[in-house]
Amino acid sequence: MHSPETQTVVQESLLRWIVLLPLLGAAINGLLNRRLPRAAAGAVACGAVGLSFVLSVVAFLRLAALPAGERLLADIVAPWLGYGPLRVDIGFALDPLSAVMALVVTGVGLLIHIYSLGYMSHDKGFQRFFTYLNLFIFSMMTLVLGENLLMLFVGWEGVGLCSYLLISFWFNEEANAAAGKKAFIVNRVGDFGFLIGTFLLGVTLLPHLEPGEGLFSFRVMQHHAHVLAPVATVIGLLLFVGATGKSAQIPLYIWLPDAMAGPTPVSALIHAATMVTAGVYMIARMNFVYVLAPTAMEVVTIVGAATAVLAATIATTQNDIKRVLAYSTVSQLGYMVMACGLGAFAAGIFHVMTHAFFKALLFLGSGSVIHAMSGEQDMRVMGGLAKKLPITFWTFLAGTFAIAGVFPLAGFFSKDEILWKAFSSDGGGVALWLVAFLVAGLTAFYMMRLVVLTFHGTNRASQEVRHHIHESPLSMTLPLVVLAVLSVAGGWIGWPAFLGGSNHFEHWLAPVFADGGHGAAAAAHHGGEALAHGAAAAHGAADHAGDHGHVALERGLAAASLAWGLLGLSLGYLVYSRRTKVADTMRGLAGGWPYRILLNKYYVDEAYDGAIIRPGFRFSRTVLWKGVDAGVIDGLLVNGSALVVAVIGSLLRLLQNGLVRFYAWSFTVGVAVFVVYLSLKG
Amino acid sequence: MTVTLNHCLGLAAVIFVTGMAGFIVRRNAIVMLMCIELMLSAVNIVFAAFARQHADAGGHVFVLMNFAVAAAEAAIGLAILVEIYRRRRTVDVDELKTLME
Amino acid sequence: MEAFLFWSCGALMVLGGVMMVLQRSAVVAALWLVFAFIAASGVFAVLHAPFLAIMQVLVYAGAIMVLFLFVIMMLQGPVMEGERKRMALPLWPAAAIPPLAVLVLVGAWVSQRTPEPLRTALPDGFGGPRDVAAALLGRYLLAFELISVVLLVAIVGALALGHGERKAS
Repeated sequence: MHSPETQTVVQESLLRWIVLLPLLGAAINGLLNRRLPRAAAGAVACGAVGLSFVLSVVAFLRLAALPAGERLLADIVAPWLGYGPLRVDIGFALDPLSAVMALVVTGVGLLIHIYSLGYMSHDKGFQRFFTYLNLFIFSMMTLVLGENLLMLFVGWEGVGLCSYLLISFWFNEEANAAAGKKAFIVNRVGDFGFLIGTFLLGVTLLPHLEPGEGLFSFRVMQHHAHVLAPVATVIGLLLFVGATGKSAQIPLYIWLPDAMAGPTPVSALIHAATMVTAGVYMIARMNFVYVLAPTAMEVVTIVGAATAVLAATIATTQNDIKRVLAYSTVSQLGYMVMACGLGAFAAGIFHVMTHAFFKALLFLGSGSVIHAMSGEQDMRVMGGLAKKLPITFWTFLAGTFAIAGVFPLAGFFSKDEILWKAFSSDGGGVALWLVAFLVAGLTAFYMMRLVVLTFHGTNRASQEVRHHIHESPLSMTLPLVVLAVLSVAGGWIGWPAFLGGSNHFEHWLAPVFADGGHGAAAAAHHGGEALAHGAAAAHGAADHAGDHGHVALERGLAAASLAWGLLGLSLGYLVYSRRTKVADTMRGLAGGWPYRILLNKYYVDEAYDGAIIRPGFRFSRTVLWKGVDAGVIDGLLVNGSALVVAVIGSLLRLLQNGLVRFYAWSFTVGVAVFVVYLSLKG
Repeated sequence: MTVTLNHCLGLAAVIFVTGMAGFIVRRNAIVMLMCIELMLSAVNIVFAAFARQHADAGGHVFVLMNFAVAAAEAAIGLAILVEIYRRRRTVDVDELKTLME
Repeated sequence: MEAFLFWSCGALMVLGGVMMVLQRSAVVAALWLVFAFIAASGVFAVLHAPFLAIMQVLVYAGAIMVLFLFVIMMLQGPVMEGERKRMALPLWPAAAIPPLAVLVLVGAWVSQRTPEPLRTALPDGFGGPRDVAAALLGRYLLAFELISVVLLVAIVGALALGHGERKAS
């Protein structure tokens, strides 16, 4: 909204330092590497992220000090592309949405950095690890704070790269390297769609820009959103392809469970708390496109819901502690995506935040367990760890209750918000609510299963491993405690109206999603004005929902989901800890084919292998390698061109005889030819 | 028979081609340099003829410039030849074929 | 009178050039070239370029050719060994054809032009020292300076070439 009638943007050069400090840290650690003592490397990395966090808080406070409709800080660093009407800047922008993400990323990131100090303390690649972590924070902050879609894409690719580097961090084992490759390649598939969508967006928008407007700038795009209407569905779907890759949705979710090959802090930071939410963030960021495309929204909703169910069912059968959490992450991401598809962007982002807290906590807790179990990840040989690892156990339990949606923990509020939207939104309904409800119960069930198998009963590990079990050092338990507190209390800022709160979180985000809460076309036309009005309108809408929106029904549904969650928890406890009749029945089921299908993750990997990878290999080997590469490129082009040059050279070599007089003679011939040419020309 | 501009150009062409042929035929590098001087002289005649035809002293200036170029070329060329002779004991260009291929 | 002078000087110049090419002895060739240059100064005189005629004798026939003679005498005897051998017969036409072709072509080209008699109405003092100096130091000052730079470079180059040898030996 560069146009004159809109609000002025506050320039805030603080923003670039939020992004650049982690890059600086990565540069120091990356360039000095082993020459830097471990303590110094850790201090640099944590210091960089810590400073970044502090700056984020400062920026957040400055943003909050502005009036609600004008909350936007921008930091245009330099022009990037400038050719004719095409203009893209290297710049950062902070609005309520990116502020939330920035705080979560740097805050959780800082905790995980501190945790990694302990977790990686014996690793040979200590400095390298922190280089990658800092690089990741840099990329993620570029993604979150990027002022335009291209900056977002730079961050998008950056986090993909860091994810690859960190998954295959212990690259000595082939499986880890393969997992890294898988993540990278699967993400490339999504990025392809994302890029095509970006191009389409640019091509559509470019003719409508006024001079001086940056092409992909979010504000400009939002201002001109109405011109996107004819292609909004296509753009929305293409961008969503990117989101399915990054946020692990059907059909591209397959990389995330394998990504658990990386060190556990990585799983917590990248593959649970931050990077995988990039897709959700992107959808929320591009909300002005999605509200114009009901079909795309519907697809997003369905994919999200389907992913949530699919991953939750798989999670109930996995035995690797990190894999359970990975599928849980996929399932929760499905929740968030579904919320975005319903137009409840604020609810989606709210769940992004709470999920970042409790999933990071759960992963770090599982890391603590794995640390204690000398690297063992199979839950079947764990058990009885509650007494040996008291801090881990209690914090883990907090995380479990949070994800299961127990009142008043963080997960309850965000999950309930999504459930309510699934029930009440235009795109939702009872059926969708039931699906989401089912997933909530499954979540509670498999989480309790995990807790029971890991912490309850007696330890099933070998004598030697059992001997080494110990509580983790302070650097690891401290982040656990902090995250546990956040998991408990982090949801209170979104205390909903029907329970007597006022949902500050939704109000805070309201200006960003003004278009979503309001008539899309009208808001797009009015641009910045609509921001201010939209904020008020969203306020009104929220209150509206509180007043007339079936408070009783909302309470009832919340109570039902709470009860359902508790039921899931107890069922999980009963089945996996005590021999009761119910448990026996369930166990009987466990031997059957449904169990095997789930255990093998619906054979999706095998199906992809058969349908895409093997034919691809065969095609590459026979046609591309033997035919195109060896035949055409090597044979015809490389050797052929060399042959041509050799033949010409051997002829020309006769001319190069070293006789000056011969050269003079040829020169004279040339002169004669030239004179002939001149006289013919007249 | 009055002298025309064409006559001047023809005379210059004959002299130039003489120098050209000498450059091709002779093997003595010093004589080859002298042939170059002859060719430059032919060019000078063309310059002088056109200067007269256009009544413009600019042509004369270029002849003087050619003198300077000829002098410079002779100085450098001969210095190189002396140097070559000291090393190779010959100024026969057919013997100086080290740049072959 | 002008035509007579032009043709006689021109013929002498061609004679000098041809004799220079045909002489085996480098010294004699150099002397024939001096002859040609003096004839050239006659041509310049006919073309109303008195200053050039004098400079031709002084600089070319005088200074430059003396340098040539000096080098010839310093390096070797009057005739170069390799040139005693005749060029093999089949090579003669091959060597001669391109220059002849150039001559014929240029001649044909020139003869196509409508003949225009040389201008006779020339300003007073055309081609004299004053006239040339006015052009050289006026309109062509930059060219004049460039000449000096060329000569300077030549001096430095010649010195460097000679100096390097002394060091090496």
